[in-house]
Amino acid sequence: MRQRILGLVGAASIFGLVAGNGQAQNAVCPSPNEVAGFRTCANIAKAEQEGKLVIYSTDVEQGQAKIVAAFSASFPKIKPTYVRALSASLYAKLQSERQAGQYLADLVNVDVVLANDFLKKNGYARYVSPQMAAFRSEFKSKPEGYFTWAQLAVAAIAYNPRLLAADQAPKAWGDILNPKYAGTMNVKSSNSGVQHFVWYTVREVMGKDFWKSLASQKPKAFDSYVQQYDRIVNGEDKIVIGAQYSGYLEFKAKGAPLDFVFPDQGVPASPQVWGVIDKAPNPEAARLFLDWFLSPIGQKVMQEALFLNSPRDDAVPPPGGVAASQHKLLFPSDWDGFLGSKREFNTEWDRITGLR
Amino acid sequence: MQNLAPPASLWRPSGATKIELLASATVALVCVGLIVYPLFFLLAESINVGDPQTFPPKDIGIDNFIDLSLDLTVLLNTAYVAIAATAMAIAAGFVLAWILTRTNVPGKALLERLLEIPFYLTPLVGALAWSILAAPKSGFLNQLLVTVVGVSDLLDIYTPFGIAWVMALFEGTVAFVMISAVMKSMDPSLEESSRVTGAGKLRTLFKITLPLVLPGLLGAIVFVFAEMLGSFAAALVLGLPGRFFVVTTAIWQYTLSYPPEYGKASALGLALFGVMFATLSFYRWMVRRGTFATISGKAFQPRPIDMGRARYGLAAICWLYVFVAVILPIAALLLTSCLRFATVIVDQMSFTLQNYETALTLDAVRSALTNSLELGIGVATVGVFVMAVLVWIIYRSRLPGRGAVEYVVMFPQSVPRMVFGLALLTAWLNIPIPLYGTLWVLAIAYFTVLMPLGVRTLSGVVLQIDKSLEECAQVCGATWAYRMRTITVPLLRPGLVAAWLLIFIASVREIGVSIYLMGPNSKVIAPAIVSSWSSAGTELTAAMAMIQTAAVLLAVLLLLSLTAKYFKGA
Amino acid sequence: MSANLQPMIAVSDLVVSYGNYVAVKGISFDVRQGEHITLLGPSGCGKTTTLRSIAGLERPTRGSILLDGKPVFSADQRINVPVEKRGISMVFQSYAIWPHMTVFDNVAYGLRVRGLPQKEIEAKASQALDLVQLRHAADRPASKLSGGQQQRVALGRAIAFSPSIILFDEPLSNLDAKLRASMRIELKELQHRLGISSVYVTHDQEEALAISDRVIVMNDGKIEQIGTPDEIYSRPANGFVADFVGSANILPGTIVGPASDHELTVFQLNTGARLNTRASTNSSGAATTVAVRTALIDIRRGFGHRDDRNALEGQVLRRLFHGDFVEYFVNCQGHRVTVRRPPTDIIAEGEEVTLLFSPEHAVLLER
Repeated sequence: MRQRILGLVGAASIFGLVAGNGQAQNAVCPSPNEVAGFRTCANIAKAEQEGKLVIYSTDVEQGQAKIVAAFSASFPKIKPTYVRALSASLYAKLQSERQAGQYLADLVNVDVVLANDFLKKNGYARYVSPQMAAFRSEFKSKPEGYFTWAQLAVAAIAYNPRLLAADQAPKAWGDILNPKYAGTMNVKSSNSGVQHFVWYTVREVMGKDFWKSLASQKPKAFDSYVQQYDRIVNGEDKIVIGAQYSGYLEFKAKGAPLDFVFPDQGVPASPQVWGVIDKAPNPEAARLFLDWFLSPIGQKVMQEALFLNSPRDDAVPPPGGVAASQHKLLFPSDWDGFLGSKREFNTEWDRITGLR
Repeated sequence: MQNLAPPASLWRPSGATKIELLASATVALVCVGLIVYPLFFLLAESINVGDPQTFPPKDIGIDNFIDLSLDLTVLLNTAYVAIAATAMAIAAGFVLAWILTRTNVPGKALLERLLEIPFYLTPLVGALAWSILAAPKSGFLNQLLVTVVGVSDLLDIYTPFGIAWVMALFEGTVAFVMISAVMKSMDPSLEESSRVTGAGKLRTLFKITLPLVLPGLLGAIVFVFAEMLGSFAAALVLGLPGRFFVVTTAIWQYTLSYPPEYGKASALGLALFGVMFATLSFYRWMVRRGTFATISGKAFQPRPIDMGRARYGLAAICWLYVFVAVILPIAALLLTSCLRFATVIVDQMSFTLQNYETALTLDAVRSALTNSLELGIGVATVGVFVMAVLVWIIYRSRLPGRGAVEYVVMFPQSVPRMVFGLALLTAWLNIPIPLYGTLWVLAIAYFTVLMPLGVRTLSGVVLQIDKSLEECAQVCGATWAYRMRTITVPLLRPGLVAAWLLIFIASVREIGVSIYLMGPNSKVIAPAIVSSWSSAGTELTAAMAMIQTAAVLLAVLLLLSLTAKYFKGA
Repeated sequence: MSANLQPMIAVSDLVVSYGNYVAVKGISFDVRQGEHITLLGPSGCGKTTTLRSIAGLERPTRGSILLDGKPVFSADQRINVPVEKRGISMVFQSYAIWPHMTVFDNVAYGLRVRGLPQKEIEAKASQALDLVQLRHAADRPASKLSGGQQQRVALGRAIAFSPSIILFDEPLSNLDAKLRASMRIELKELQHRLGISSVYVTHDQEEALAISDRVIVMNDGKIEQIGTPDEIYSRPANGFVADFVGSANILPGTIVGPASDHELTVFQLNTGARLNTRASTNSSGAATTVAVRTALIDIRRGFGHRDDRNALEGQVLRRLFHGDFVEYFVNCQGHRVTVRRPPTDIIAEGEEVTLLFSPEHAVLLER
């Protein structure tokens, strides 16, 4: 008898079966449930008992609203709420809360630099979703289960063709330093993960001092691509630097006059990184959501809501757009260098955008 | 003849009963706790020069304060904007107050109602509206000027002057109210004797009226200046695009980056608090000195001056103000909220109600609106009763230390809301009671910062009640509780209702404190709109602002009609 | 009603101070059962403070107050009974009518506080309303009453719960002269009928004299004189009382010596004229002024009228017609003497006259 029990315990440990609440799952569960069109390892009954879900995400609010609404449609007993802020601000809020022993958030979506920082601080709870198999290993944490790249923000240059004729517009990264564009461009603030990514990857291609010269163009900085596009549509500015392709698609769908430029040197694809938070108040609901979100169904909802590109191997392009793989995507060749460059970026970017 | 005195078996050694002492002490302690406790955290953070997120701080120094002095731009910006806004608010307030209280301008009652609306609109909504109206290239007014006059980029709202303009329009109502109060209590015979000797109306205005109201005017100037120092919403919406910071938005910016610079933010907050405190102490000193020689004991109804034909011109001035502060902004917001994407180029406009549809799906509208209304009702109801007791303790009891209670209760006025919000954030994050992220912490915060407003309003009502009414009840044998129930509270009722409404509106439009204490399950309207503004785009934000304004105005109208009978008090 | 030897109110050595300012500087007096006492004096003399101390609305610094033998305040024994437990009634200067209640509710308030059964409340309140003749207005909102009616409501409220002591704080000062005159009679009759002991504060000496059993004249926190109205009027203790109560001439001079009638004293005025005067009850021979009531001086045209009274000769400087009396200002050898006479046989200004008054009405004063 005792031997059989020991054997069972041994078997359980090999297959890493989850026991109890909130423990790390080190491998995909042996028999994921198929529900509402996707496979999940989460305990659905428990998730519905938890009944709540709190997401901290950098996605624009109207997009988040659509996504959680779609999730709620499939799982009406779970009521999700969200908090939206720019990557750095969101992370600051999360960290302050955790430091004080207050755990309010279940899932977090920040840029990849802060995600790695969070990982180092043991902020993530490990959960291996059956959906993660469809993501390339470069798009996941190592080992997998801590965070996953759930969205790709392809960013380049956009402009308003009513204000700037196509032959006058910039075509390559180098063009943006042309003095004739001075005072007509906007960028994102230094709190933006996308902006950091664009800064690093483009200067790997164009040279370390490339961005410093941008200061003479006197760009204005904003916290959201929506504000950036708003301003070239209504004529306050003419060009968006580090323009998100998703924003372009979103505004174009509303009928705004816009053109997007994919420079030949390459287009940064900044990852939006998602993961379940350690000590989350609603862990099962968080896992369920993550499975849904990473599944083809969730990714489709995400793309329709946010127009962002999906990193899944079997992804379709966002509505009205092209698949990311169509263009030369830029990722940092020196990842460690990139991850450690935040402070340098902040200082340089603040100076470029005129913030003290 | 029997003596039917109630049983005199309890001979007390002191003047106050034990209950009164206990109540007073409890209330005073709670108030001190609510106010001093967060400020202590602020101080602790400001001297933290190590990792901003460790508490209690390990590395202590005054580096944060030294850095401040190097950052003169922000301080100068704040001074410029506050002075400009105060000047405009006082000028407008004085003119409007004089027109509406001293002349026979037509449509007085309607104008007075309309002039309250900018207060309900909130500076946030005002800033949004004016950014639509006067953005340098895309603003409606600029587009109009280009077509009519041919000059482009004439108005630029994204300038310090633009910020001051919006602040004056939407936070300047208090100037109008204060100056009106001073004008209403002026002895009309002072002006009449001037006119009798042959001086014309304008001459009387400048040589008699103006110098007489000058003490009250100075008080209003100081008070309004202190308010403008702590202003946040206008500077946020209109200053950030041009990277123009005042102290409040600088504090906000410090806390938004990673790692958040709480030390610098706290130091800056304490500095602003210091200036506001000094300014308001000066104001209190001015008031105490009793320079209000114009206010006599009797209540006057000064006869309005007959302006003849000129009164239509005066009415036009008032209506111009209403147009600029109410009609134009609302029209701009309404138009924008119905556009598919924000453009002023008329041939590009396409109209839709989609924005309202989307807005109603957002948490920022749905849960935030219900939360705000709930909080407003809760805080106002509880607040009014507690504040009534406080007012009674301060003005009607003989309890020792009631002067200190008054001081403590009015203290939050000196603390800029943003700074207090930051202090509360640090305080509530770091104590073991799990209130952070709930509506309770917001309720406590609102109650604390709105205490001065409630107490001020109620004290005005209480002081109007003759002491002898309560003394007589005492002599008839009524205990404190019985007196409160049968005499004091019923007489206070109209005032209580007015205070309730005021507190309700103030908590619904609150932003400075809420912006720090909002959690995922405790969103409230004003800060929710701010956080959506940066990611929602102009037309969606306009829709949200319209929904918020409509909801608040509806709530107010509903409440006013329900309580109309209570205003016909004694 | 049997005579009760113990005073209803006993005030001893009462001192009331606010910080450095001393409002009442150590006064003592008794109020017997059924007595109507008036505290009379100019504003700021401490009379209202004293009244409010008896009620408990002010807190004295020293001394004691006993109500019906029981201490309600004693500085030595550290006793201070709260207002609501003293069981005495008060009528305020401003009436203090509660505007949000009806007349009936105002009057019945004290009864309700005592938790009496409803029937009794009805009976007693109605009785009180009858006594002040406001039964017909019982259901009217109290705010819709005239000044005189409010005054009655205040009174009705004060007597409703049958107190043995009522305090009055200048209750008639807000009424016009005619109403005041009729109200004070009504008050007096009511007080007498119900046998209530009352303390009444006023600055109107006419009112004080008309209805009081005894008058306490106060000045600057101290008692100047206690006595019946007649005593106060006819035998003022000093110049202040003589001047404040009624109208009097205060003439300076020196004592010469006893007169032929040993009850009287000869007093020489500074002008040289000699008068036969009556010494005040506790005179020590150091009197420096003589007080003569203006209403008790006879005036005759021409010089030379003599009888057994004092005589002063002079010229009418000015004459003022007051309706019920005429006031003459007569220059008697440099000294101005005021005379009040009934409005008959009016003498013209400039005429020479003789003033005649009996020694009984010339009272010597210390100061």
